[in-house]
Amino acid sequence: MVTYIIRRLLYSIPVLFAASVLIFVSVTAVGNPLAALKQNPLFSTQTIHNIQQRKHLNDSLPMQYAYWIKDAVTNKFGTPLLQPGTKIWDDLKRVIPHTLQLVLISEIFALIVGVAIGVYSAIRQYSIFDYAATTFSFLGFAMPVFWLALMLQILFTNIFIKWHVRIFYTSGLSSQNPGGGIHFWIDRLQHLAIPAMTLTLLSIAQYGRFMRASMLEVINSDYVRTARAKGLPERTVTLKHALRNALIPVVTVSALNFGALIGGAVITESIFQLDGMGPYFLGALLSQDAYVVMAWLMVTATAVVAFNLIADVLYGYIDPRIRFD
Amino acid sequence: MTGFATPSTRPSAERVPEPILSIRDLVVEFGTEDGVVHAVDGVSYDVFPGETLGIVGESGSGKSVSQLAILGLIPQPPGRIVSGEAKFDGNDLLKMSKKELRRLRGGEVAMIFQDPMTSLNPVLKIGLQIAEAIQAHQEDVKDKAAKERTIALLKLVGVPNPERRYDQYPHEFSGGMRQRAMIAMAIANEPKLLIADEPTTALDVTIQAQILEALKKAQEESHAATILITHDLGLIAELADRVVVMYAGRVVELTDVETLFAAPRHPYTVGLMDSLPSLTVDEDWLRPIPGQPPSLISRPPGCPFHPRCFLSQGRSRCRTEEPPLRRIGPDGHLSACHFADELAGHSSKLVDDHLAGATP
Repeated sequence: MVTYIIRRLLYSIPVLFAASVLIFVSVTAVGNPLAALKQNPLFSTQTIHNIQQRKHLNDSLPMQYAYWIKDAVTNKFGTPLLQPGTKIWDDLKRVIPHTLQLVLISEIFALIVGVAIGVYSAIRQYSIFDYAATTFSFLGFAMPVFWLALMLQILFTNIFIKWHVRIFYTSGLSSQNPGGGIHFWIDRLQHLAIPAMTLTLLSIAQYGRFMRASMLEVINSDYVRTARAKGLPERTVTLKHALRNALIPVVTVSALNFGALIGGAVITESIFQLDGMGPYFLGALLSQDAYVVMAWLMVTATAVVAFNLIADVLYGYIDPRIRFD
Repeated sequence: MTGFATPSTRPSAERVPEPILSIRDLVVEFGTEDGVVHAVDGVSYDVFPGETLGIVGESGSGKSVSQLAILGLIPQPPGRIVSGEAKFDGNDLLKMSKKELRRLRGGEVAMIFQDPMTSLNPVLKIGLQIAEAIQAHQEDVKDKAAKERTIALLKLVGVPNPERRYDQYPHEFSGGMRQRAMIAMAIANEPKLLIADEPTTALDVTIQAQILEALKKAQEESHAATILITHDLGLIAELADRVVVMYAGRVVELTDVETLFAAPRHPYTVGLMDSLPSLTVDEDWLRPIPGQPPSLISRPPGCPFHPRCFLSQGRSRCRTEEPPLRRIGPDGHLSACHFADELAGHSSKLVDDHLAGATP
């Protein structure tokens, strides 16, 4: 098991290397990062020259890439294009935990609820519950994220205006004076609740459908019939024999989802003004800061690789046919 | 005496034991998009303690479905048991609650399934799967005792190294070893009735003989009556005491195994035997039964076998009148053919071959 993880970690080095090349090539292909600055009267030739020197922009592309990698590895992605006093990593260090909190809360909740709904839909196939779950899922699939986010925002704002009860906050990550310790975290949860709800509702729809399909396949399998023929109670048949097999594909999907969401909750985070990965990326794009964009892409790529590794380990844990050695 | 009401009462007066399982007029249907599939259509037979009853027939003749249905193992819907009775030890299985039926399954009635590759749970250890069968019925058995019993069972059915095998997963077992594990699981609670649904079909020929040995041993150990569902007449000849021949969801012939091979009295049975390759006569072609099994949604009128029957020869009675299962010979030999008598004196090719081999 440990050797397997170490080996997978070693495998991820070439993967990340390939990702870094792709990221660098595609970002530099967009154009010279200084072109826009040169037309901006606020930047003197001297400033631009300094940036050129600092980022080695006069060197050949492979050399630029090498300097970037060196910066990324030894200096934690170094500095942004424009503000030499700040560090990219300081910003990333701030926004990554925020996004992680949001994604973990919403995905774990969505997994629990989605799996439960899927299992129940499958064992009560074509029941009223099943039809209701199906309808809800299609609504969830069809609903645009921004619309759902805004509706929830309006709903909870109105509740506050009407009854002056603050159940959940509708924007930001913390109150003005959130306090410390447990108070801070309660306040944080009140802020994250609605954005998490938005993401959760969409993921529940997805996991529910996935789990239902996977469960249906499993409960009609020969070994579940064997379990019944043994005289096991239906509960044991479902939870011990069917669920574990049915979870295998769902684990894969959810791990990929986790990885993707680390970089991808852009809309939700923007609407609720959460200081996370999404708005940070938008900001970098708007200011045309190639170095921040590349750092952000690298972090996201690493997250995807990491969650894939987690998926593989879980996969092997659930399914003994996957060998670790 | 109608013969049909009590189809398998053995007339031999010296012992008339109570059947352990007595199925009467069982009708099982499946609702599909194309129509209702009459999978089992009025089937009756008995299984007596200690005997092995063979059930033969082509795929889709209702052999397995009748067994799965009475144990509540067919998915409902689309399946449904329309009518009939299945008395096990005097109690009607079809009237039992789900809970009572569950207690019976794997306890007094155990099943061995066709495909050991898919019939074991791939993510659970073999030992655990057998031990849980024990503990499902004997709740007071501790984990340690269940493990010991499991290892003993694995040893009994011929799994070498049972202590090590206990902790292995199904994918670490070969097909034959898995089927042994299935047999061990089935006899774990000393069933009174063992239902083996094509136990060797999915296995290599070389493994089949070994599995039969394990099955025989299991039978001896548990003293269980056995229903052997198969399409392999060789297996029937080897293991069965009495034989039920099924066609299109019905019983077409029922007799003891010697009579079946020596004097088959249904053209379908004769056709089945003639389709086997001969060992003594040089044959270029196999002789299959012509045509296809009928659709179970719209069955041909009259005798369901008449479109493929060599005996019918276009007689209108075969096309219009459904032949009842009736007594046609001594020892409760039953056949559902209008013209069963015309087969009198006909012995199966197998017996002919045997005689030919004996007197070259």
